[in-house]
Amino acid sequence: MTTNIELRIPNEKPYHGVARLVVGGLAARLALSFETLEDLQLALASVLEADGYAAGDEICVALDVTDDRIQMSIGPLRGDTVRADLDAAGEETIGLGRLLGTLVENVEVEKREDGDWLRFTKAVRGLEPIEDHA
Amino acid sequence: MPEEQSGRELLRRYHEHGDTEARERLIEQYLPLVRSLARRYSYRGEQLEDLVQVGCIGLIKAIDRFDVDRGVELTTYATPNIIGEIKRHFRDKGWAIRVPRGLQELNVRLSHLLEELTVQLERSPTIPELAKAAGVDEEEVLEALESGQAYATLSLSAPAGGDDDSDLDPLESLGTIEHEYEVSENRAVLAPGLKVLDERERRILHLRFFEGLTQSQIAQQVGISQMHVSRLIRRSLEKIRDEIAPEPEPRRRASESRR
Repeated sequence: MTTNIELRIPNEKPYHGVARLVVGGLAARLALSFETLEDLQLALASVLEADGYAAGDEICVALDVTDDRIQMSIGPLRGDTVRADLDAAGEETIGLGRLLGTLVENVEVEKREDGDWLRFTKAVRGLEPIEDHA
Repeated sequence: MPEEQSGRELLRRYHEHGDTEARERLIEQYLPLVRSLARRYSYRGEQLEDLVQVGCIGLIKAIDRFDVDRGVELTTYATPNIIGEIKRHFRDKGWAIRVPRGLQELNVRLSHLLEELTVQLERSPTIPELAKAAGVDEEEVLEALESGQAYATLSLSAPAGGDDDSDLDPLESLGTIEHEYEVSENRAVLAPGLKVLDERERRILHLRFFEGLTQSQIAQQVGISQMHVSRLIRRSLEKIRDEIAPEPEPRRRASESRR
């Protein structure tokens, strides 16, 4: 079973915090470890807060949760800029490629109707079914 | 309105005849305006009375600079002055968003619990586990962790903010084990954008993104708390982004004109 969460926000810094909180809320519901949450939030920030990635004034963050992984898609983005940064994996630089390579898996840029989206997954072991923890 | 007329009258008395009593009365008269503007910002955790004081400075500046012959109301002229003064106050304190003390304390508590639970469980704890150990809701944990973000943007040179808990000092544990590590580790991360980082920040980024160590492993190796490692990583990446970012102005202006 897949659970989908989608968030559309203005591409402005104060709203990036909203996206971070949504990821946090999901991590709490799924009982992800603090470190997994940190990885997801850092990966998200490395895309949202980078200058010149977003293609418009709004940006969408989509989360697909299955039994053993979380897939995050962010877009629409300027695919060329993102691809260039992903490929510029110099030995001694901390670019998008190295960041995402450390934090998440299966990083891909995909074409959609409204532009390019960056998609990656995070494997999470033994996800508990979503319960009402409150 | 008679009150506004008397406001204009008072302004004339002050500006044309140097009547300082008229100035005092103007300040009193417009205090409710300052108060209502200050209230808008006091949710950020700053004491309302402090903000009223700060806002009054803006009001006084507006009264002093007001041009009686121009057809605008003092309210119109003073409002941006008052808000400007309040915003400057926040900037000067170094807090993008003032974090309420309760959340600051919870953040410190969570930092300790994170260490304890990581050892106890032999893995990184979950948010529900942290919440249970702290005796608070999961939402509060998330909020406190998020408040750590506002804190993380504090520059090292910013004033400590008066009565803040010493645990929150950004210079926490600075200079303890710093200089003991191998120079070779430091050599790797010298690419453009990384020069803005200090030695410890570079070392932590190296361990995380080149050696693939986890936050808790880095915390052990560097001898600081895991939460502190987390903050330093975020802040370092932010610094790098700021350093290598192209001129951000056009986009900002575009989004502002949209409002």
